Amino acid sequence: MTADHWGFVLAAYGLAAVVLAGYWRYLCRRDRELRELAKTIAARPARRGA
Amino acid sequence: MSRILGWLAALGLAAGMIMAFGVAPREVTQGNVQRIMYLHVPTVLVAYLAFAVVFVASIAYLWRRDPAADRLAHASAEVGVLFTGLTIAAGAIWGKPTWGTWWTWDARLTSVAILFVMYLGYLLLRGMIEDGERAARYSAVVGIVAALDIPLVHFSVYWWRTLHQPPSMLKPGPASMPEGILAALLVNVAAFALLYAYFVAKRVIVLRREEEVLA
Repeated sequence: MTADHWGFVLAAYGLAAVVLAGYWRYLCRRDRELRELAKTIAARPARRGA
Repeated sequence: MSRILGWLAALGLAAGMIMAFGVAPREVTQGNVQRIMYLHVPTVLVAYLAFAVVFVASIAYLWRRDPAADRLAHASAEVGVLFTGLTIAAGAIWGKPTWGTWWTWDARLTSVAILFVMYLGYLLLRGMIEDGERAARYSAVVGIVAALDIPLVHFSVYWWRTLHQPPSMLKPGPASMPEGILAALLVNVAAFALLYAYFVAKRVIVLRREEEVLA
């Protein structure tokens, strides 16, 4: 009977889960930051002209 | 739209894991380590798709100078690099117990590594050029040229003697595997394709916001 090497299976899927979840969190965080920045810019009073 | 895609991808991945670990049979020769295939093959197929999208979007950008095409190419390249990296990592982890080595300079592995480095270079080029229009134009050219490596990767196992097995899918004739394994593989390919679509949709939104806010 062939050895199953479950440790390697776990390592491959675990690594994929960490990388994909990390990228997803990066996208969500960046989106949130940009939305907040857009709100701040919109709320800022327009600079008076000379 | 991206929220719906996200939920579909999450459901698809859950179904894929059930198929990979609960439904697909234990492979006779390799044992359970073969289940890495349900991650390795879908990620490389989705990477092909991602770079094909970069190719088409890059041509569209050079033709019509539409910033939306450039954003699509940029997003797809980034997600493609992510999936190619996962393909290489999962392949190395699978290679150790089955081939006895993490890495070998075999034609398939080398051509995939070149693909990875070329699109990493594409992303670096984008980051290095400050002028948005020039960055889009130069990277579109790289996106078109780099796509030439995709057929090289896929057919490398036919053109050279390699340690890597020939493709089980995307080949002439029916897929060479039992129905249970094929079904699990197809579900995972669909799930990873949905995840790719979700990531690209979300990345395009972020890129558009960056242009609006940081302009």
